[in-house]
Amino acid sequence: MEQALVVENLKKSYGKFEALHGISFEVAPGEIFALIGPNGAGKTTALRIVATILQPTSGTAHVYGMDVQKDAARIREIISYLPEEAGAYKNLTGLGYLSFMAELFASDSAVQREYVQRASDITGLGERLRDRIGTYSKGMTRKLLLSRAVMTCPKLAIIDEPTGGLDVVAAIDIRQLIRRTTAEGMAVLLSSHNMLEVEYLSDRVAIIDKGTIHDVGTPRGLKDKYGKANLEEVFVQVVKQ
Amino acid sequence: MRRFFVVLKKELKEMLTWHTLVPILLIMVIYSFLGRTINQEVKKQAAPQPVTVVDLDRSQTSQMLVDILTKVKFKVTTVTEGVVDDIVRKVAAEKGTAVLVIPQGLEAGIQAQHPQKVRTYTIMRNFSMMGIQGTFRFDAALSAMNEYIGDMYIKTAAPGLDPAIVRHAISAQSFLTVGATSAEANPQEIVGVVMQQTMIIPIVLFMVIIMAAQMIAASIAGEKENKTLETLLSTPVARGALVTAKMMASGIVALVSAAAYMVGMKSYMGSLIGSSSGTSGTTAQAIQKLGLVLNLRGYVLLGLSVFAGIMVALSIALILGAFAEDLKSVQIIIMPLMMVVMLPYLITMFIDINTTSPVLKWLIYAIPFSHPFLAAQFIFAHNLTMVIAGIVYQFALFFVLATVAARIFSTDRILTMKLNTARRGSDLGGWTLQREGIRFRIRRK
Repeated sequence: MEQALVVENLKKSYGKFEALHGISFEVAPGEIFALIGPNGAGKTTALRIVATILQPTSGTAHVYGMDVQKDAARIREIISYLPEEAGAYKNLTGLGYLSFMAELFASDSAVQREYVQRASDITGLGERLRDRIGTYSKGMTRKLLLSRAVMTCPKLAIIDEPTGGLDVVAAIDIRQLIRRTTAEGMAVLLSSHNMLEVEYLSDRVAIIDKGTIHDVGTPRGLKDKYGKANLEEVFVQVVKQ
Repeated sequence: MRRFFVVLKKELKEMLTWHTLVPILLIMVIYSFLGRTINQEVKKQAAPQPVTVVDLDRSQTSQMLVDILTKVKFKVTTVTEGVVDDIVRKVAAEKGTAVLVIPQGLEAGIQAQHPQKVRTYTIMRNFSMMGIQGTFRFDAALSAMNEYIGDMYIKTAAPGLDPAIVRHAISAQSFLTVGATSAEANPQEIVGVVMQQTMIIPIVLFMVIIMAAQMIAASIAGEKENKTLETLLSTPVARGALVTAKMMASGIVALVSAAAYMVGMKSYMGSLIGSSSGTSGTTAQAIQKLGLVLNLRGYVLLGLSVFAGIMVALSIALILGAFAEDLKSVQIIIMPLMMVVMLPYLITMFIDINTTSPVLKWLIYAIPFSHPFLAAQFIFAHNLTMVIAGIVYQFALFFVLATVAARIFSTDRILTMKLNTARRGSDLGGWTLQREGIRFRIRRK
């Protein structure tokens, strides 16, 4: 079966600073794959390259067989990207925002309505969707954006720090939301420095630090391999080696 | 194309909020109000002004002076007796504006060939220019009177001699030449009328350019700060459509504001530039003959030049906006553009482009915003080649800049270029232009 994402020897430099030193990994359709690592490890750079908004210095990334540089326009039709701590247009209402984003992806107004309806159901924001986004809490905005990211049923969703800066209750809601929506076959590439969150959410994880992937495996597999009780301890062990 | 309109609609929704509309409407209302107030004041001044004449001479000559004052639109109240100070106080108390005292013995003094003095009291209540206009016409009345008395003497001393030959043996007949056509006219009046037609253009253009540039730069900086730009860049909208939609939305908002400013400014400027004096018949004829009226071709060329100027400003602002990391840095980033827009406006107001040094001349031509300011002058001087060359240059520059802007948006430079205004260390200040880790530091001393 064709892989949702194949990243091979990906490098990215900002001037003299090399943020990615040639990372490689694969994501299967329907799989939740997480890049875990501290701030500045290169997670966001990797996600932005896959989302076609940064160009790699060398190496390749293919989304369902399409190259992120040569076929960027076609890839954008089947992915969705949610940046870390992203905001939305504060003057628009929640519904207005969903409608605007849906119109960018939909082929006609019927499909657009279907997208908006799906996102409205997923957010659970109810009547608050008619209020201006400027009045939303951080958690509400994140739910809105996440439902926007999955409303088009993308083949690959790229989510940077899904619960960054959220309180415990909002974070749990968001994790459950991601789990629910991936049941339909959508592949997810996410990044997080919250190891416990990743352990709960992901099918497989890649441990990344200073632009290098140190190990890849399932959370259980990695814990068994290094004989540790949780991913946090695995991470410390891997990075120290 | 559909996605372009979706983004355009969103941009307009974002830009046309009460936050942007209220200041525009406020400026329009303030200027309209100012214009109306000045107009009313001008009309008030044009109405006959009251003056109290204390005629202590009660002679034929003093009566003649009163008649002349009436002719130059004074509403004269004559008093023939009383103490002058008491009369002035009374007039002031009754909100009068002027008192003219003709002393006893004026006519006898003149006949004895001794120069005489009349006293004028201007009652000041405010110190505006309008407040003392009445005294100017007082002087005119006195001049007329002096001329009459002078003529009387000339006629008595040299019967048969025309007093005009003594007073004005030579007088000037002014002709104005534009291109190959000459017409009899007062150059000052002509310049006044021409300015009336074109003065509003640079002011409105300046406002529109600054406003549109700020809008577009703020729109990009806002999207970067909010990280909505990253989301937008990962959607199927073509980068060119994104750039064009942003430019068009800013352009539309700028034009809406320009229209509002025009309405306000027209009333304001109209009241300032000789609306009270009007245009004399000779001047109107000269203007027609010299072709100093903007005809359809003139308006089209001027409009094209202004439009091209706005497009150049928008494309520069788009590029500058790409450097802005947040809304705070937009002001700093737009500053150089504001300077460049202001420069030709100031230079062309004080310098004659035809006679200035070649270096300065070409420097002015190189600034794309000089051309809308110069276009009207060139059109009136029948120098259409310069107008068209200016428009071609502006559009060429716009296409280059728009290509650069589109290129920035189509690569990851839009996310990696930064203008860092933060101070680093206690002794280091200034700006850092940064792209992909490469820094160019401009030290602030």
